[in-house]
Amino acid sequence: MSISVVIVDDHDVIRVGVRESLEDDVEVIGEAKDVESAIEAIRKARPQVVILDVHLPGGRGGGALDVLAEVLGVPGAPRVLALSVSDAAEDVVAVVRAGARGYVTKSISGPDLSDAVRRVATGDAVFSPRLAGFVLDAFGAAGGEVAVVDEDLDKLTEREQEVMRLIARGYTYREVGEKLFISIKTVETHVGKVLHKLQLSNRHELAHWAARRGIA
Amino acid sequence: MLAVAIVLLVGRTDELHLPPWLIPLIVFIAGLALAWSPLDAVVAADARRPDVVALVSREAWVRILLGVFVVGFAVWLFARSDFTDSRAVRIWAVGGATVLAAVLLLAPWWLRLIRQVSVERERRVREFERAEIAAHLHDSVLQTLTLIRAKADDPDAVARLARAQERDLRSYLYQERRSPADSVATALAAAMSEVEDTHGVSIDVVSVGDAPTSEALRAAVGAAREAATNAARHGVGPISVYAELAAGRYQVFVRDGGPGFDPAAVPTDRLGIRNSIVGRVRRQGGDAEVHSAPGTRTEVAITVAREEER
Repeated sequence: MSISVVIVDDHDVIRVGVRESLEDDVEVIGEAKDVESAIEAIRKARPQVVILDVHLPGGRGGGALDVLAEVLGVPGAPRVLALSVSDAAEDVVAVVRAGARGYVTKSISGPDLSDAVRRVATGDAVFSPRLAGFVLDAFGAAGGEVAVVDEDLDKLTEREQEVMRLIARGYTYREVGEKLFISIKTVETHVGKVLHKLQLSNRHELAHWAARRGIA
Repeated sequence: MLAVAIVLLVGRTDELHLPPWLIPLIVFIAGLALAWSPLDAVVAADARRPDVVALVSREAWVRILLGVFVVGFAVWLFARSDFTDSRAVRIWAVGGATVLAAVLLLAPWWLRLIRQVSVERERRVREFERAEIAAHLHDSVLQTLTLIRAKADDPDAVARLARAQERDLRSYLYQERRSPADSVATALAAAMSEVEDTHGVSIDVVSVGDAPTSEALRAAVGAAREAATNAARHGVGPISVYAELAAGRYQVFVRDGGPGFDPAAVPTDRLGIRNSIVGRVRRQGGDAEVHSAPGTRTEVAITVAREEER
């Protein structure tokens, strides 16, 4: 069963590149190049996944955020994978907090991107090493802050930190599972919980904090 | 007609027992409203348009002049009403009223002037920034594109140029410029860029936490650089580097894309790993471990303690 996607990017070259690099089971059913055409294309094509560039012209100037605000939160809403060349932490965090299920950089390889699309389509979260590093930084993991209960939105549990560290070190989900002797499903569950915390935590006003600190 | 009504009213104030300043005040407000009514356009208009006079129509000028006249009339009414017996109070009150009237009449023009000055300043700042960005792009991106066009038949050179330019532009756009001495994250990123350039590989560097580069941290960065060089020489695929600065220690992980090797089978006279990676960090009281096996990815874990914490 193929996965339907809409690609949103203001650069023709990138759209063509992404379309061509996707594997056969990922079917591109629409493309858009700014906020307005993206909202229209997504409503019309009703894809499972939207590959969304973080910086887009049009709308109210919020780029991907404007698109997310329009297309998420309705029944049958697509799942969104954010794609960017930007390393600015505040951009990354803002799109994830606005509802994107994952973040990858444009230097990602075709098979990896296809894999990320499949993962997002099934409701899993996709963390690039950079996003994992940011999460560790933002939640004070290096400072030794550990959540005792799962429900603590402002800290990561020990297991979540281990998973994030391995992802930051370049491990795939499968490799993380092998290293920690847990199943790949369990890895996905941990990543999903971290995504949830990233979206809901008020810790230091994450986005604001990120703007000051920046991902080095 | 309005004026006649006012004059009639003034004549009858004594009978109505109104305070003597009430009528002048009402007339004053009416005059001010009349004078201000066409000025909305002037204040609200794009402050970048210096030509204010052209914004005001002939009819508007008539209203402004009429307004000024009515305000003057109000002040005159105020001056001749008997609100006090003291001569000094009368002079001060009338003087104050005149100044107030002038200030209020001029207020919209003054507001506009302030806005225009701030817009001018903003525009100069923007122009300066734009010129600076243009200069930077010219020195970097345009030069590189020219070089790339000249070397179009040499894919390696093109890839290297593109990568170096991308990194440069990225750091220009997104990062605060910090020196490698002030920031171990910058030092690590710089070391990895050099490996990228020398060996034509791509290295994904993620740093958590940052601090000035101490002796021990510098050793760790040096060891990581050696590890990345090894990975570039012997491994395939992208290299991942993850550095984490915690309260008491600094850890760097360098991981390649395979194909791995058997560490026990490396002859002891091969000094690469032993000296430049392990030895370098051991001298700083740290340690480095190489995890590898044939058919897996190789990972070098480098750990040093942070002595400045003690």
